[in-house]
Amino acid sequence: MNQLWGSMEQYSTVVWHWPIAVYLFLAGLSAGAAMTSLIVKWIEGNGKPPWDGLIKAGALLAPVTICLGLFLLIFDLTRPLHFWKLLIHYNFGSVMTLGVLALFIYTPLAFIYAAIKFKPWLFETGPFSGLLKPFRGIVDSIGDSPVWLERTLFLFAVIIGIYTGFLLSAMYSYPLFNTPLLPILFLASGLSSGVAACILFGLLFFKSEVNEKNAKYLLELDLRVVPMELLLLFALFVGMYFQGGDKAIVAVQALTTGIWAWVFWGGVIGVGIATPLLIAVTALKNHAYRVGYILLNAWVVLIGVIFLRLYILYAGQTFVG
Amino acid sequence: MAKKYGMIHDNNLCIGCQACNVACRSENQIPESVYRLQVWVKPEEYPNGTLGYEYHRQSCVQCENTPCVSVCPTKASYKNVDGIVLIDVDLCVGCLYCVAACPYQARYVHPVTKAPDKCTFCHESRLGRGEEPACVTVCPTDALIFGDLNDPKSKINQALSTRVTYRQKESLGTNPKIFIVPNKKGGINS
Ligand code: SF4
Ligand code: SF4
Repeated sequence: MNQLWGSMEQYSTVVWHWPIAVYLFLAGLSAGAAMTSLIVKWIEGNGKPPWDGLIKAGALLAPVTICLGLFLLIFDLTRPLHFWKLLIHYNFGSVMTLGVLALFIYTPLAFIYAAIKFKPWLFETGPFSGLLKPFRGIVDSIGDSPVWLERTLFLFAVIIGIYTGFLLSAMYSYPLFNTPLLPILFLASGLSSGVAACILFGLLFFKSEVNEKNAKYLLELDLRVVPMELLLLFALFVGMYFQGGDKAIVAVQALTTGIWAWVFWGGVIGVGIATPLLIAVTALKNHAYRVGYILLNAWVVLIGVIFLRLYILYAGQTFVG
Repeated sequence: MAKKYGMIHDNNLCIGCQACNVACRSENQIPESVYRLQVWVKPEEYPNGTLGYEYHRQSCVQCENTPCVSVCPTKASYKNVDGIVLIDVDLCVGCLYCVAACPYQARYVHPVTKAPDKCTFCHESRLGRGEEPACVTVCPTDALIFGDLNDPKSKINQALSTRVTYRQKESLGTNPKIFIVPNKKGGINS
């Protein structure tokens, strides 16, 4: 419609699009994978090379996915050539600046951690061994289990997982974002996507190095995180409903209206939460180790977490009360 | 003493003619299809069943507590000494965090600079010359009053002391410096 006052196109409340959702997914996955790798590594008996395939999968996924996500983020800026200004101009009240600073610490640590886990490949058998020789001494000097590096990496993985939630929840222009539970929800779903990605990647690429005991441990961990997500989602929406006003209206709309309600019930709940729980109590009952189902389980968890990020981002910006 | 610029939009005087909208575009050379300012004319049904109009000034409300400035990672969005919220295009990376965080949909992406842009109270043009913003100058009914909220004798403070006003989405705590005088007129059928 052409009103007296002109085009209203610019007033759409949907400002951030799917690349942001994918970034939020990848950042959460990276953080989750780093945590998963460390959790497995800290299990009694796993602390020395040769590393378990799951430890290696997580160590590789963490730096790779965060870099992919950051590339996506930079190319999604409307002024991508100016992105470096983010690195030297800070606003300590902005979650985005805090995220940049956390990534300054997290990303190099993730790379160093991965280098330790892939030492033989990097410096001996791999195609770049000649090129990387000079760095061998540095990695050697760090040792196989640098306690402080690992603890700091774990801490910053948690910070990265949480920051992706605060990035959205800091905006009170959107009632669905502006809830205290969102950062926790993103941390939990990031962890579950990290666990799933480690299982998937480990079993696909480092299968011979994966110890069944560790895989079972992770499956069990995921089986605890997924119900947590359900609980957090439940508390988030019920909490919004009881806040009344715009919040209550938005909570109801987001669960009942249009395509995003379908994505929520079908994608987030159906694929991402109900299916893994169903697989857990049927095919994988009594800790059965059936690789096909384990892989399927990992896939549905991952897809569910992508749906969750897309859903929160779009429904949050669509329903503003 | 620093100034604190604000504005009153009086719904009893506004006729929704868009003169302000047009003046803003011409003074600030706003590219086609984007707007710093529109006036939305909304028919309202009053409790006694009669009809009236609300004139919604769709533009930056110059918040005192500025969500757009708080979220900006590079301080490209800032509030100047006179309380006007501005954008330093050179510092902007185009993350659009400010566009999303603004509860008033006041910001758009400028088609040329690709940085957000919005109402500046004509800071870069007319204010510097000692003139009032373009919208205020052209308003045929004097529905807009502009001035320094820190100056007790200013026109805007005098009007604020005699007219009942409210501000948009006050519950968010943004503390806008655009004050609205609600419409008392109406009742075409009565
Ligand atoms: S109306 Fe929007 S752009 Fe203007 S000061 Fe407030 S938050 Fe910033
Ligand atoms: S788009 Fe520019 S002005 Fe807005 S928050 Fe990002 S860097 Fe700041």
